[in-house]
This record gives sequence, C-alpha cells and structure tokens, in this order.
Amino acid sequence: MKTRTWIVLFCLLALALGAATLFLLRDNGDAQTAEIWSDGVLMETVDLDADQSFTISHGADGYNLIVVEDGKIYVSEASCPDKVCIHHGPAAGGAPIVCLPNKLIIKFTGDDDSPDAVTG
Amino acid sequence: MKQKLPLLILAVFVVGALAVGLVSTFHGTNEPVETDFFAMDTLMGVQVYSRNADADGYAVQTCIGALEKELSVTIETSEIAQLNRDGHAVLTGDVQALLQRTIALSARTGGALDPTMYSIVRLWGFTTGSYRVPDGDEIAAALETVGTAHITLGENGDTALLGGAQIDFGAVAKGYAAQQSADLLAARGVTAAILSLGGNVQTVGSRPDGNDWVIGIRDPADEAQMIGKLSVSGSAAIVTSGGYQRYFEENGVTYQHIMDPATGAPVKSGLSSVTIVAQDGFLADGLSTALYVMGLDKATAFWRDSDDFEAVLITDDGDAYVTEGLAGRYVCADGFTVVTR
Repeated sequence: MKTRTWIVLFCLLALALGAATLFLLRDNGDAQTAEIWSDGVLMETVDLDADQSFTISHGADGYNLIVVEDGKIYVSEASCPDKVCIHHGPAAGGAPIVCLPNKLIIKFTGDDDSPDAVTG
Repeated sequence: MKQKLPLLILAVFVVGALAVGLVSTFHGTNEPVETDFFAMDTLMGVQVYSRNADADGYAVQTCIGALEKELSVTIETSEIAQLNRDGHAVLTGDVQALLQRTIALSARTGGALDPTMYSIVRLWGFTTGSYRVPDGDEIAAALETVGTAHITLGENGDTALLGGAQIDFGAVAKGYAAQQSADLLAARGVTAAILSLGGNVQTVGSRPDGNDWVIGIRDPADEAQMIGKLSVSGSAAIVTSGGYQRYFEENGVTYQHIMDPATGAPVKSGLSSVTIVAQDGFLADGLSTALYVMGLDKATAFWRDSDDFEAVLITDDGDAYVTEGLAGRYVCADGFTVVTR
C-alpha cells in the first residue's frame, strides 16, 4: 500500500482511540446524578439539575417521597418510624441517604471530586 | 482506488472495535464493583477492584452475616444473648476473642469504653427506639451494673456476669467485622478494596491508579456535607463516632446515643465527632467511642501516651484538632489546629 494509505489508517486509528476514550469516560462528566436503589434493585437514575418528585414504594405500606430541587435530592416524606432518611436533608454528594426500614439507598455518582468513602 | 474503498471501510471498523476493546479493558481495572447490603442495623458497601469483584463482595456479605449472628445481643440464640439472659455462658470463637479484647481496651482507656453499658443504653430506649429520659434513681440503679469488674472470664471461655451486668458490642462490632472482612479480602488475593460498614471505613491495599484513598469526614452539623477529607495510603481503618449518629429530642433537649459510663447519661464532652485512623478496625472503632467520651483534653493526652493511632477531633463549635501524624493528610475549608506530642 501507498504511504498515504498508511497515514490515513493511522489517523483513523488515532481518531477511533480518542472517540472510544470519550465514549467510555462520558459518564464521569459534569452532570451530577443520584441512583435510587430499593431492596438491591436500581429503580431510577436521576439528574440533580432536573427538579422533580416521585414516590418509591416498599411492600404494602412502605414508601419514601423523594424530591429533587435546586441541584439537591432529599426525602420529604417516609413511612418509617425514625425518619433518619428525612433528617439527612438535601444533599448533592457525600454519604448515601439511607432508609433502613424501607431498604432504600440514594447514592451519588458523576462527581469527580467525590471521595472513595465517607466516614461519620 | 475503487477496489480499495470497501477494504478501507472494513479496516476502520476493525480498528474502531479494537480501540473500544483496548480502552474499556484499561478503563475496567480502574473501576470498582460495589456490593451493598444491610447488616448490623446499617448500610454496608464493599467496593472491590478485582476480576472476581462480585464473588469477593458476596464473600464479605456472608462473613458479616455470620459474625452478626454471633455478636448480636438481640438474636436470642447468640452466645452473648445467652450470657445476658442467664448470667453465664461458654463463649467461643469471635465472641470470646472480642470480649477479651474489649475488656483490655476498656482498661487502657480508663473505662471510657465499657462493654457493660447495655443496661444504660436500654434504659434510655436506644435498643428499641422507644426513647425516654429516665430519672436519677433509675440511672443510679443501672450504673450499679456497669464496669468490667462485673465480668469474670474462666477457663475455656466459661464466662459469668455478676450483679445483673449486661454486655453489648455496639461500640466495637462493626470495626471488628470490618477488620475480619479486610483480612478475608486480602486472603482472597484482592489488592484493592474499600469497605464502608455504616460509616466505618476500611481500606485494603492501594488504589489501582497509585493515588491515595480519599476519605471524607461527615460534618457533624450537617449530614449532607463533609467537614474535611483525609488521604490514606495502603490498608487502614478510619472510624468516626459522633452523637449525631442516633439521638432523640424531648422538650427541646437533644439526647444522643453515646453514653458516658461515669454518669449513665448521654456524653457531654464538648466534642461533636472523633475520627480515628489505625491499622486495626476493632481498635479504631473502640477508640473513636472512648476519645469521644473523654473530651478534647483527655483525648489528646491519651494520644500522646499512645503510638498506634491518629485522630481528627471536631468540637461542638466545629473547630478541628488533628494529631500531627495526619497534619499533612487532612484537608478542610476552615483550617485546623495541629495537636503535637
């Protein structure tokens, strides 16, 4: 093959590598997101920039009302007795929001600055 | 050139597929697989960087489930529940080891950590969630049962409780479980993992990218915020105790769950949280409670007499005191005071 063909192939390889890297790393971008897990199942992945509210049910009577507002997420109402999840308050990162009785976890993703773990 | 065009297109696809494969393989080794589960009344998360990460996470879950059955005071068939109920029992394995180590750490901390506080904790309703403020007579009566002098360790695990003393491992069980889990992962050949057992963090090995582990410390005044971050290299335990972790309010007064063995009432030490960094999870867990009970002055004096841990102490006003071994590893927005030897 001609030298020019090799150059074209090389450029395409470089482009493909670049595109693949971008494609695979795109989930670490700017958008701050939260994952809603219920009893080990991923129910929703929400963008914290989009205000919304929704209810996650657990069993017959269990529920948590989840609100996304001003870039943060919080539990505004819950069926559990201790309300630990509500006391957590609005958050956009850090330790997950947890409701033990309803086996609900709200985990934060998509933030490059987030630590490997939070103690406390 | 006409015949070469299809060949070129094919080449582009092959090269593209190879590139995606190459990048994802490289990328994959730097992303942990997380296993979450509920145990010991809290959320536990295990992040493992390995090819068998799912199996490794499941192994930890199984290990902690077995430990919980042994160490829980609320599971009636456990040796420790038997000991509390009958006043005597033969303790084996982990229960025996943990009780011996807790008694030793209680002595070392001058009783600031005490495994016989269960009667007090129960009196205030923290075991059931039916909270109430007991009167002075009730507290005085319950305090009669407190102190490791009430425990007698006989031959072959034969253990007795005197004077109605009651034991629980609330201050050390998670740390002990975290250390067992870390040892299990290391034995399985895992070279990088991080565990968070309800805020008890344990690192195993080093991050695959060569950077230090970064551990956030919760802001005692705001659960959703971090007050600072610690960088940790290699395997370590990072454990925090704070009154905010469990509390109730009555008539405008907040009563928190960490009880002072000297008063039988919630700790009022001027500290809002204590974070311990140590090589061993049990030690870090027990000391975080003990130093929280001691308060700033006694805690820093205790640190000066020790050589097996470092600490970050946050006062009720939000001021941070950091022992000198962590001074270069702690980052926060508001500055901090370095505690020197």
